[in-house]
Amino acid sequence: MSTRIIRDIPFNRVEGDLEVSIEYSDGRVSDAWSAGTLYRGFENLMKGRGALDGLVMTPRICGICSTTHLSAAARALDAIAGLTLPDNAVRVRNVALMTEHVQSDVRHAVLMYMADFAHPAHSSHPLYAEALRRYAPAAGSSVIDVVRETKRVLEVIAILGGQWPHSSFMVPGGIAFAPSQADVVQCQQIVGAYRSWYERRVLGCPIERWREVDSRAALDAWLAENPAHRDSEVGFLLRFGREAGLDAIGAGLNAFLSYGSLDLPGETAVLAPTRQLVAAGFARGTAVADFDTAHISEDVSHSWYRDRGTLHPAVGETEPYASGQQGQAYSWVKAPRYDGHAVETGPLAEGVINGQALFVDIVGAGQVSALTRQLARLTRPTTLLPAMQTWLQELLAAHGAPIIAGDGNVPDGEGAGLVQATRGALGHWVRIENGRIARYQVITPTAWNGSPRDARGLRGAWEQAVIGTPVADPDNPIEAGHVIRSFDPCLVCAVHSVRRR
Amino acid sequence: MALNLYWIQAGGCGGDTMSFLSTERPDVAALMQAIGVNLLWHPSLSNISAPEQKQLLDSMAEGTTPLDVLVVEGSMVRGPAGTGMFDARGGRPRKDLVVALARRAHYVIALGTCASFGGMGVGGEIDATGLQFTRDKRGGLLGADFCAGSGLPVLNLAGCPCHHDVLGGTLMALLAGAELALDEFQRPLDWYGTMVHQGCTRNEYHEYRVEEETFGEKGCLFFHMGCQGPLTGGTCNKALWNQRSSKTRVGVPCFGCTNPEFPADQPFFSTRNIEGIPLALPKGVRRAHYMAYKDMAAAAAPERLKMRSTDV
Repeated sequence: MSTRIIRDIPFNRVEGDLEVSIEYSDGRVSDAWSAGTLYRGFENLMKGRGALDGLVMTPRICGICSTTHLSAAARALDAIAGLTLPDNAVRVRNVALMTEHVQSDVRHAVLMYMADFAHPAHSSHPLYAEALRRYAPAAGSSVIDVVRETKRVLEVIAILGGQWPHSSFMVPGGIAFAPSQADVVQCQQIVGAYRSWYERRVLGCPIERWREVDSRAALDAWLAENPAHRDSEVGFLLRFGREAGLDAIGAGLNAFLSYGSLDLPGETAVLAPTRQLVAAGFARGTAVADFDTAHISEDVSHSWYRDRGTLHPAVGETEPYASGQQGQAYSWVKAPRYDGHAVETGPLAEGVINGQALFVDIVGAGQVSALTRQLARLTRPTTLLPAMQTWLQELLAAHGAPIIAGDGNVPDGEGAGLVQATRGALGHWVRIENGRIARYQVITPTAWNGSPRDARGLRGAWEQAVIGTPVADPDNPIEAGHVIRSFDPCLVCAVHSVRRR
Repeated sequence: MALNLYWIQAGGCGGDTMSFLSTERPDVAALMQAIGVNLLWHPSLSNISAPEQKQLLDSMAEGTTPLDVLVVEGSMVRGPAGTGMFDARGGRPRKDLVVALARRAHYVIALGTCASFGGMGVGGEIDATGLQFTRDKRGGLLGADFCAGSGLPVLNLAGCPCHHDVLGGTLMALLAGAELALDEFQRPLDWYGTMVHQGCTRNEYHEYRVEEETFGEKGCLFFHMGCQGPLTGGTCNKALWNQRSSKTRVGVPCFGCTNPEFPADQPFFSTRNIEGIPLALPKGVRRAHYMAYKDMAAAAAPERLKMRSTDV
């Protein structure tokens, strides 16, 4: 199980951490194998360390999601200690985590996804010249804009948590220090400025207007409504993506998972259908069932680990057993399954499970595509930014209230910390014995989305989604890249071609 | 003159890239333009295809495309059993590619503690090492005698992650012809010559030995909470993080992440003590002196500190 730890980090780069082998037939992808090629052994590094050390070690699993790993690690310790967090600690943790999400969603879309629109493979696209102006690596106008604005919003995490990435300010029972009123006011200013920029440049309209987009027809009407909508990043994504056929590829498994995230404080003006802003659930199509952690298991039949059968992460093992190219194993990623199902997780899954009308409509009509996934990601900040502002206001109003429960120590015991990372479901399963970590298992979102096959031969989410994608140039299968990157592995993936003989 | 820069990520988390995107003076785009960086490749930012990248690597190997700066992020993975196959690229160990590129580079920069000293995974199953050190031992992947084309050894821009302003500052200094003074671990003194403790807003609490034993308070974190600030060179409390703060300012101890020994084997968030005095004292301080000084300082502590009424 643990394995995944390793890789989803690796996934954010290209250098070979993610290598997908693709089989083509008649100009289309007919099969795919996704391989994570970096093993870092984090779970085994954790064994024997101090009970709180997950707070320092696990953010280093992923430089992109460090606040999220910190959240999961802290939640596992909260659970072991049986602590209920004070409202202000919940608010600070939530705002920091949401800050990481709202910067990552936009960075991924503009720096790492739409960068491909500026590749010469799209040179005959009618919008290519504009894509080049916007998204050329390290030079495009949108790239420069996004680097500047996302850097600013990350200042919120530094104010609340000291630095980004890799801080450890979430501690058992709460947070390490209460922000001053002046700090909170600064955060309000930064989030307000980010929202205003996001509405102006990314959405092209106020968040309230975007929330009226509740169906495919309403989306078309929104796009046609005015030039501000069309020229925004969302508008350009839709216009370029439709012309390039991204709305017709990458359908995927039609099975979605969310662990649920962002607990509501006991007293809050933020409204949500459950006690979390992001609901937990498992959906097949739009039929949402309750989420039950007991249904999670990991299979290593196609991964380079000693196979001890399919295990729940609380009892799982991570014992590397390299077998190279021979045999059926092809990845350092394990294959997590939910009640036996391969699933997709991420912003689209959250949208469906949270009952967001636009995504329920698209999924209900069977029209999921790479473009849908990217649309869900780029517009997710519309669900987060208003709640961030409310929680900051509440933090100011409740200034001086407690920020930690308990004494910072954690007794022996077992616990799990489940959250929604930017890229989807993230879980830490921890056991403390004699004041030391006896077991630490992590399942990352990319383990779900980038899973290899399981013992029954079921493909992982993007292995399945990429099948059927038409590819013009097998040596540079940019179309397959659009599908895989719509899951935000945040890497430039090295795709190798295998032609069917 | 433009600098051809190639960025490779090995056994790491990508955090140094994420940190670098927060560089401020100048920011990433302005930095590239101002000093004329030609970014040949960055794994998260470039959009060239796999075949194009292969051509690029071939032309660097042949010397047709000069490689001015090689930036390496992440540890060098040697496991299992010396094969390096826990970190493979196209079926071959990535460390071999790093060696080949380092031989061609005019400057080699280890960005972050993993690339500098091995960091996470030293002594573990992946048998991680840094480019020219394994923890505090010279050698590493490239060997103690390695020098890049410029004659300089690997520049170790340590930190987990490396502070966002250090890489840009180093590149600008190199291009300006400045001779960067390095410490014994090949870290440029301009960023590693101050202690993390310097500039910590809890300094007064340290001075008068007003200590904390749990989270959420204002006192010094050195005596019980495991803070390594007085033992760690770094710019965290001088340049600050993300223009705003630092871990110690928000009650999180310094974990010593720029040190070759990071991550230390001892549990974080706790200080090993002898008779209430930390086993590891501020860098260069003698125990007898320190004990006498801290006893007197504690006795002299003003009420406003004892009562935690002075903010941090």
